[in-house]
Amino acid sequence: MAELALLTSFLAASVRLGVPLALAALGETVSERAGVINIGLEGSLIAGALGGALGALAWSSAFGGILTGAAVGALVAVVFAAFVVGLNTDQIITGTAITMGGLGVTGAVYQARFGLTGTTLTLPPLSSVPVPLLHRIPVLGPALFDQAPTAYFAVVMGILLWYGLFRTEWGLELRAVGESPDAAQAAGVRVRWTRFWATVFGGLMAGIAGAHLALDSGTFIEGMSGGRGFIALAVVVLGRWNPLWVVVAAIFFGGASALQFSMQALGWDVPHQFFLALPYLLTLAALAGWVGRARAPSALAHPWPKTSI
Amino acid sequence: MAVASEPVDFVRRVARLGLWLAFLSSACQPPGEDAGAPFQVALLTSGPVSDAGWYAGAYEGLQMIADSFGAHISHQQTRTPAEFDEAFFAYASSGYDLIFAHGFEYQDAAIRAGAEFPETTIIVSAGGRVAHNVIPLIFQLEEGSYLAGIAAGSLTKTGVIGMVGGVAIPPAEGTFDAFEAGAKSVRPDVEVLVTWIGSWNDVTAAKEAAVALLRRDVDILIHNTDAASFGVFQAVREARGDGRDVWAMGMNRDQNDVAPELILGSAVIRIPEGFVEITRLWYDGDLPGEAYYAGSKASLVDYVVNPARVAEYTPELLALLEETRTGIREGTVDIPRIQFVSDEEANR
Repeated sequence: MAELALLTSFLAASVRLGVPLALAALGETVSERAGVINIGLEGSLIAGALGGALGALAWSSAFGGILTGAAVGALVAVVFAAFVVGLNTDQIITGTAITMGGLGVTGAVYQARFGLTGTTLTLPPLSSVPVPLLHRIPVLGPALFDQAPTAYFAVVMGILLWYGLFRTEWGLELRAVGESPDAAQAAGVRVRWTRFWATVFGGLMAGIAGAHLALDSGTFIEGMSGGRGFIALAVVVLGRWNPLWVVVAAIFFGGASALQFSMQALGWDVPHQFFLALPYLLTLAALAGWVGRARAPSALAHPWPKTSI
Repeated sequence: MAVASEPVDFVRRVARLGLWLAFLSSACQPPGEDAGAPFQVALLTSGPVSDAGWYAGAYEGLQMIADSFGAHISHQQTRTPAEFDEAFFAYASSGYDLIFAHGFEYQDAAIRAGAEFPETTIIVSAGGRVAHNVIPLIFQLEEGSYLAGIAAGSLTKTGVIGMVGGVAIPPAEGTFDAFEAGAKSVRPDVEVLVTWIGSWNDVTAAKEAAVALLRRDVDILIHNTDAASFGVFQAVREARGDGRDVWAMGMNRDQNDVAPELILGSAVIRIPEGFVEITRLWYDGDLPGEAYYAGSKASLVDYVVNPARVAEYTPELLALLEETRTGIREGTVDIPRIQFVSDEEANR
C-alpha cells in the first residue's frame, strides 16, 4: 500500500509540475506554428507571475490573479511582437532582450511595491477542484481529477487548439503563415496580422502559466519562473508542435521533475545531483529518440517580408 | 536566412540591440564619489535582496553601516560568475574601501581582486580563503541548527523529520549535519530525510520537495534556502489545511513572523549586526588577519523560539535549549563543525 500511495503522489506531482509548462508551451505552439519563435516566453512568464500576484491581491481572488497575469503576459508579448513582426527584428535577439528585460523590470516593480528587502505575500490560494466521483479513482484519480482549475484549462485548451490548428480554416491559414508566408499572402492571408496575434496569444498563455506559479506557491519571488519559459520551448519540440502531444510532453517533463523529489524523499543513497539532472537527461533522450523525424515550421524564426523595411 | 547575411541589416540589428541594452542598464548607475562620507562600502550579492532572508539580511547590514558610520554605500547584484571579477574591479577601482561579498561563491574572485587592489578590504561571507585584505566572515549557523535539531527531535510525533536544501554547498550541508546531530542527541532513533532542490529561489521546486517529504510521514520540516523557503511554508500550510499536525522551522533569518501559525522557531544568523561588527573592527584597525567567526558567543547566531508557538514547547525542552546554548558558548557541547577554512589557508 505504501508503494501505491507513493505512486499516487508522484503522479499528482507530475501533473502539478507539468501544468505551467503545458500552458506556456501551448501558447508557444501557436506562435511557432505561425513562424514566430518567442524566446521572450520567460519574460511573459515572470511578468504573468508578478501580475498574477498583484492582481490576486487587488481583487482578493485567485481568478482575478489569473486574469491579470494573462493580460500582463500578453502585454509583454505585444512588445515582442511589435519588434519582431512590426520591425522585423531578429527573433532570437529580441526574445533574449525581452526575457532579460522581463526579469529585471518585474524585480524593480516588486521592490518598488513591497520594499527592497521583500516580504512574504499571502495570496488567495489556487485551490484544487476535485471532479465529483472521478477523483476517487485509485492512483489516477488524484493526479487527473483533483487539480487546480488551470490544469483542466490546459487540457481543454490542448484539445481546442488541436482542433483549431488541424481541423479549421483558421488553423490552416495560421500554419500556412508559418510554413510559407509568401504563399499564404498570395492566398489572401494577412501574414503579419496572423503572426502578431499568434504571438500575443502565446504571451497570454505564458502569463496564465506565470500566474499559476505565483498562486500555487502563494507568493511572488524575483526570478521565480526559474527557466520554465525555456523548458516550455523544449516541450514544444518534444510535443512536435502538436497541442495534444505538447500537453503529454509537459506532463512527461513534470514527471521527470517530480521524480527527483520522490526519489530524494525515499532517502536512497544516490547522489542527489543525479536526480536534479534527470529531467534534462530524459529530455535529451526523448528529443533524440522521439522527435528525430519531426520538422519545425519551415518559416520559423524567419522575418517576413524578406525585403525588410 | 538570406536576410541575416546582409551587412546593413546586421548593423541595424546590432544598433537595436545596443539600444535595448542601454535601456536595460540605464537603471544601474555607476557608483559615485560621496565627498561627505568618511569611507565607502559596497555589497555584492548573487541573488535578489528582496528574498526576506540571506540577501535581505546583508542589505539591511549595509544600510545599518550607512546609518551608524555615515558611510557611502552601494549594492550590486551579480548574476553570473563572470560578473564577480567585473564587480570587484568596478568598486575597488572607484575607491571603495570595504567590499562585502555575500557568499561562498565569491571567494576565488575576491582573492584575485584583493591581490590587485591591496588598499581595499574584502569580506567574504562564508568564504574559505584568506589573504591580508581578504577576510572570511563565517556565521556558525551550525550552532543554531543544532538547537533547532534538539527542538525538532523532541517535538516530532512521527519520529521522521525533514530538511529541504537549496544547493549542497558545504555551509548548507553543515547546517543539516548539525540539525541531524541535535535531533539524534535527544531521540537517537529519529529518521532524518533530506532533499536538495538545486536552487535557492525556486519556490515551486521547494514546495514539491516539501510535499514529497510530508508524504513520507515527516511532521517537522526545516529548510536552508533563500526565497524558496516560502514554498516549504506553503506546503506545510496546505498539509495543515488537510488536518495534519505538521510544522515548519525557519533558517538564516528570524522567519517566525513569516507564518506564525506554523513555524515553531528559526535558526538565525544576525547578518546585519555581524556586518556592523566587522565594519567597527575594520574602522578601528582591529580586523584579524584571519577568518572572523560569528557565532552564538557574540549572539550573532541563535535558535529563536516562535513566541506565538511557545505553548508547543515543554518547560523541560526550553530548559534543555537554554542549557545547550550556554554549553555551546562555553565550548562544552560538541557539535559537528563546518570546515570553512582549510588548515593550509588558516596557517598562512
